[in-house]
Amino acid sequence: MTSAVGRLGRIGLSSYFTLLVLFLYAPLVVLVVFSFEDSYIQALPWAGFTTKWFHTAFANSDLTSALRRSAMIGLLDGLAATALGTMAAVALARRHLFMRPLWTTLLLLPLVVPYIVLAIGMVIVLHQLGYQSSLSAVLVGHIAISLPYSLLVVLPRLRTLDASIVEAARDLGANPSKAFMLVTLPLLAPALVASVIIAFTISFDEFAIASFIAPPGSPTYPVFLYSGTRTPSLEPQVIAIGAIVVALSMVLVLSAEIGRRWADRRLASA
Amino acid sequence: MSAVRPRARRSASILRPGSGLLILPPAVWVLAVLVAPIVLIGLYSVNLKTNLLGVPTAFSTANWKDFLPPGSNPFWDRFKISMTITVAVSVITVVAAYPLAYFLAFVAGKRRYALLMVLLAPFFTSYLLRVIAWQVILNNHGVFNSLLWDLGLRPHGDGIPWLIYSKFSVGLVLFYSWVPFVAVPMFVVLDTMDRSLIEAAHDLGASRLTAFLRVTFPLSIPGVIAGFVFVLIPTTGEFITPLLVGGPSSFMFGNSIQSFFTDTPNWNYGAVLALWLVAVVLVMLLVFGRYLSTDLEDAAT
Repeated sequence: MTSAVGRLGRIGLSSYFTLLVLFLYAPLVVLVVFSFEDSYIQALPWAGFTTKWFHTAFANSDLTSALRRSAMIGLLDGLAATALGTMAAVALARRHLFMRPLWTTLLLLPLVVPYIVLAIGMVIVLHQLGYQSSLSAVLVGHIAISLPYSLLVVLPRLRTLDASIVEAARDLGANPSKAFMLVTLPLLAPALVASVIIAFTISFDEFAIASFIAPPGSPTYPVFLYSGTRTPSLEPQVIAIGAIVVALSMVLVLSAEIGRRWADRRLASA
Repeated sequence: MSAVRPRARRSASILRPGSGLLILPPAVWVLAVLVAPIVLIGLYSVNLKTNLLGVPTAFSTANWKDFLPPGSNPFWDRFKISMTITVAVSVITVVAAYPLAYFLAFVAGKRRYALLMVLLAPFFTSYLLRVIAWQVILNNHGVFNSLLWDLGLRPHGDGIPWLIYSKFSVGLVLFYSWVPFVAVPMFVVLDTMDRSLIEAAHDLGASRLTAFLRVTFPLSIPGVIAGFVFVLIPTTGEFITPLLVGGPSSFMFGNSIQSFFTDTPNWNYGAVLALWLVAVVLVMLLVFGRYLSTDLEDAAT
């Protein structure tokens, strides 16, 4: 039998894959390495090892309050988008749904409409309604862009649930809503947690909408980051916080993946 | 055996775990936050609304006529430059990602899902931070230039002029951002491909190259197109990467839209550009949409 790839092909493809992975991780490594750089300017030769930028960053109340704002918006976005996404998933999981293609298209629309358009649209609407730009408005926008991701995470899980388990609850006398709360929802838990995490990270990283709508005096964390890159004295702090965020999100991504696999195995063996 | 219930009613309740009315809150949210503003942008684009003082609101297509050819203006040129960058980045990204998908599907074996995660993990970290990291690397006095100086490859203080604030830097960072994600649809197609077709080609005397060109590659085209669209659509509306590592020569169409809402507020003209961008993306979706079948559509049938 001839395999699809020859020996030389294997070596070539493996080397290429390795090189590309190195290319993907290099900027992240640079960010972490230079967060310990003593000089204001991130360049070689290496000026010396320091942890002072981490101290400076956490002592900077503009930066820490921006982080708190974004964490709060991200958390609220995670909960709200997951609630709305689950509602949509439950409705779309029905065999019959009036005008299903229309709902599907509408709910997936935020995936394709450019954020710049969404952002200026919100600027115009706020102006029209006579509202000031506010962090609540940022949250409203973030919920809209996180909603389709939540739907795409929850709906497939909802479909893989073993119908006989819900059937058993119904046989034992649970009404539909009780069966949903006591059986379906706990089985959905891994997907719901994943949805909250995904929505949180989308919001926590979102710059386009926030740059237009966050009030000038109270930037979100990405808006602060952006202004930091334009201010040489802030740049080392931006890099220090960036290094922490990159490290944390790597841990989060990997643990979410491990958790998802664990849940898959558990569902498969149930 | 009196506990036996009508079977039909029971299974119906399982297939309908909740009320269809639950679709309304999320749908209304998207309508209010996304669709209504686009309608309002439409009104601004034809001057039925305006933010300019002293300008009467009356239906006018003057801004549209000024923007669209043959009304030569800098924004149409910017759109063309922007689309050139977008299409070039999309093609290069797909070409570079195909061998990654091929490696995962045909060489990586049992470790392929773990390696796919390794490939994708950077994609899930902060987009903004990754662009900032590239800024640190590509800066005139940044990591890459100073490395060349240290190694004596370039005279000290003399940075490579096109390394940052150029089409190169914008293209490189966009390529970097999308290459792992673009590999996913191609990996899925290659991984689920019927291997016996390739074996059959070999049995019939085809060399590896012939089998690839005549069997594997044609079968993987839907994944290739999906990957292409995955980078094409978001890049069409891109404005953050050019903002950080681009310059006047490499600003994209999204930056033009942005300028009408920040530097020189003219919402009416900006609305024309924004609506044009939405139209371009919708046309892309109409052309390529059938290659983007999601779980939702599969599940709906």
